Amino acid sequence: MNRLAAHGLAVALRTGWEGRILRRATTVEHEETYGVLHLATFPLPEARGDFGAGVTELMRSPDVFVVLFEYGPESLDSPMFAPRGVPRLRADMFSSKRLQRPLPGQLGCQLFFTEGNRPFCLYVVAGSRAYLPRIVAEVNLVLAQLEIVL
Amino acid sequence: MGVLVAVEAVVLVLLTLLVAGLLRSHADILRQLHALGAGLDPEVVIESPVALRPRGDVARANEFGPAHDIAGAGLRDDALLVPVVGVRHRTLLAFLSSGCLTCRAFWDALADEAALGLPDDVRVLAVTMDAAEESMPGLRELAPPDLPVVMSSDAWRTYDVPGSPYFILVDGVSGRVQGEGTGVTWDQVRNLIMQAGDDMVDMAREAQVDRELLAHGVAPGDPSLYRRLDEPEPMTVEGATRP
Repeated sequence: MNRLAAHGLAVALRTGWEGRILRRATTVEHEETYGVLHLATFPLPEARGDFGAGVTELMRSPDVFVVLFEYGPESLDSPMFAPRGVPRLRADMFSSKRLQRPLPGQLGCQLFFTEGNRPFCLYVVAGSRAYLPRIVAEVNLVLAQLEIVL
Repeated sequence: MGVLVAVEAVVLVLLTLLVAGLLRSHADILRQLHALGAGLDPEVVIESPVALRPRGDVARANEFGPAHDIAGAGLRDDALLVPVVGVRHRTLLAFLSSGCLTCRAFWDALADEAALGLPDDVRVLAVTMDAAEESMPGLRELAPPDLPVVMSSDAWRTYDVPGSPYFILVDGVSGRVQGEGTGVTWDQVRNLIMQAGDDMVDMAREAQVDRELLAHGVAPGDPSLYRRLDEPEPMTVEGATRP
């Protein structure tokens, strides 16, 4: 397996998976930015939005796009981030109504959680319902390899 | 006096020969440097790409080796892992640097993806040495915004890259290197890629013929594959060969 690590995030990826870990540059004084992890089973474009703008339109039916977006510590007390630990996916968590950018055939899933005292959003886009069982199984394998370090 | 003039004449001739020899040697060196992409005259165009030998004096075998995924740091506080094996497309690994003058033309060429004239199944990935061995401001200025760039000295070592610029074409389906080499212009590198593609088509066609022969019970060494000594030459009708 190939390992990708930066900004306190690390993940081991199976053959054919592409990954990026980045932290956006600050645009205003006193602003702080945090890590963003992008994973995909297809080539990622360089110009990408944090939640897949410019990306999901490139997906084919068997493809999947995964985002792990870290929020600032001020979000730790929010009930939205109350779940502890990296979640695992189920097929019934996906819906076309949970997409940031709805596209025909695609399904989305969005989960918030806290791990290592760091609040995260896990956002997954599946290319199609036909491949959803396989996609869910593969993403869960990836999530099992995810390390969030302090 | 006459002897002195004769000695001087001989010395003059010897010196002339020495200077001529030095000039010729210098010209040979310049020619070799230019062939390696380090020439002093940018106006001189080399007709064909130069095939470098990656491992000292040992020429690379016809069969290319297995490929490896590329992982390393990006140019903007990021980390990348780009698979080149187990993917549907081919990847052109462009080993470039911020310091090499010849690379500058390639950084410029890679800025306009549409003008590259590459087949649709080829993705370009620039690979530089690690940040400690590169100029980060230089790379940020040279690298086009839409081009993925990975800094990985490990990748240079893994692929035995002899220097920059150097290009390696990887077939994602077979997971093997399909071709490699260098040049001084993008057109030369593109020809290299096209040639590698043609070679793959030939190999696929040959494999298909082998499969069909085997399916019909014709194995390697089968006598029907060879013409008997007493068999007449194939007849030619209006330029076509009849079996």
